[in-house]
Amino acid sequence: MTWWRKADWLTRSGLLCLVLLALGTLAGTVLGIGGDPDEMVGPRLAPPNGEYLLGTDELGRSMLPRLFEGIGTTLVLSALAVLVTAVLATLLGIAAGYRGGWLGEIVLRLVEVLHSFPVIVLAILVAAVLGPGQTATICSIILITIPLMTRVVRAAAVSVSERDYVTSAVISGARWPRILSRHLLPNLSGTIAVQGTYALSVGILVEGGLSFLGFGVQPPQSSLGALIQQGSIYLLAAPWLVIGPGIVLVLAILAINVFGDGLRDSLEPREARSLV
Amino acid sequence: MILELDKVSVTFSAGPPWRRRQVPAMREVSLSLADGEILGLVGESGSGKTTTSMVALGLRRPTSGTALFQNQPFPKRRKQLAGRMQAVLQHPQWSLNPRMRVGQCVAEPLVVFGGVSKAEVAKRVMGILDQVGLDPSFADRYPHQLSGGQRQRVSIARALITRPPFIVFDEAVSALDVSVQAQILNLIKDLRAEYAFAALFISHDIGAVRYVADHVAVLRHGAVVETAPAAVFFGTPEHEYSRQLVEAL
Repeated sequence: MTWWRKADWLTRSGLLCLVLLALGTLAGTVLGIGGDPDEMVGPRLAPPNGEYLLGTDELGRSMLPRLFEGIGTTLVLSALAVLVTAVLATLLGIAAGYRGGWLGEIVLRLVEVLHSFPVIVLAILVAAVLGPGQTATICSIILITIPLMTRVVRAAAVSVSERDYVTSAVISGARWPRILSRHLLPNLSGTIAVQGTYALSVGILVEGGLSFLGFGVQPPQSSLGALIQQGSIYLLAAPWLVIGPGIVLVLAILAINVFGDGLRDSLEPREARSLV
Repeated sequence: MILELDKVSVTFSAGPPWRRRQVPAMREVSLSLADGEILGLVGESGSGKTTTSMVALGLRRPTSGTALFQNQPFPKRRKQLAGRMQAVLQHPQWSLNPRMRVGQCVAEPLVVFGGVSKAEVAKRVMGILDQVGLDPSFADRYPHQLSGGQRQRVSIARALITRPPFIVFDEAVSALDVSVQAQILNLIKDLRAEYAFAALFISHDIGAVRYVADHVAVLRHGAVVETAPAAVFFGTPEHEYSRQLVEAL
């Protein structure tokens, strides 16, 4: 794979970290490492030991399987939401950037209205309307990441649309499906991928924040935010409840951002980097 | 006549809605271009050259006046013009899609035009690359592997592949250095002798225009100052501004 060889060690370690996190979580959940996350197996608030590698929580549930479940929930919710965002933001951004005119104005104004809400206020609003839970979490992440991504995709689409090869294609008589698939999307794919990774890290943060406030994932299901929230009550007595999910959260976001930077450097065509 | 502009004016609106200003880019420009003829359009920056090319290509409708292509008004659907007009545009670095191989770039107008088999397309691409002086192996390269002059050759190949009767060269050589400019101008002349296309050759470089054009039109502040056959124009320019341009040569 040429891409892997071109990437620097930081990008590689970012990607490696993400893959390990995802695979480890998958293996842990599927193989049931550490037992059932919902079963009260041991003493309450036991520190990490040979039997319970990450200790136990206030109900005596083993933390290791709960952490696996938590990472899984957070990653799946964020990834689903970002997938939806990527599709919508790409369509909206290209519509606003390539077509422009009144359609572009409407898209831009709507996106600006969304963008003007503070992130957590918007998320709480969504949770209030839809009721706390996974649906509210996904919808919040979508609503929060769409403005960020749409604006960047639109700006890129404007600059690509003005390039001579698009004009040449229009002069040749090419219609919009061809211009979209041959000229716009391939030249925007780098931007979309990079913005997608950033949106994923925002998504994980929003999930954490919303669940921490109690509007996101509901117990007994765990997520990184929910684990940190429940653990924070016993912060001084049992710090291991927060440290595990905290480290994973930081690691995941760091890895995604580092990987996103590397992706941007390698995906954007050389000419674009030297000029823009 | 392949192209006729009759008293074409184009005005742009600028400024916020409550204080709209009308900025004229073309004022009653009349030009005509016979089959197989090259019309050189000269003028300084902001004189309306590019707007004129946009009108000639049917990409912008005149605010007033009429534009006829092959004695017909421009059709509503762009597709009906496919294969009949092409352009070689200003920026060598943006003229080719960096995600497409040279072969795909060159083939695009033909593919859009349709009705040609894949094998035939490949054959025509190889043929036209050879004609613009590029080795067939260039078809597999990406634009960033090419020099500025090579890219402009590829643009010319792309413009010629459907054998259009009309081509616009909008500052096609301006971004190239002098020796490469001369090569490309020679290439345009050679290809013109073979393909007999009519062309609108737009440039701020009057030397380049002198080299390829049969007729010359001078634009200034959006209006045509003078139109004349090249021989007459470069011998005895009539208008004061034209005289300055020719003397500066």
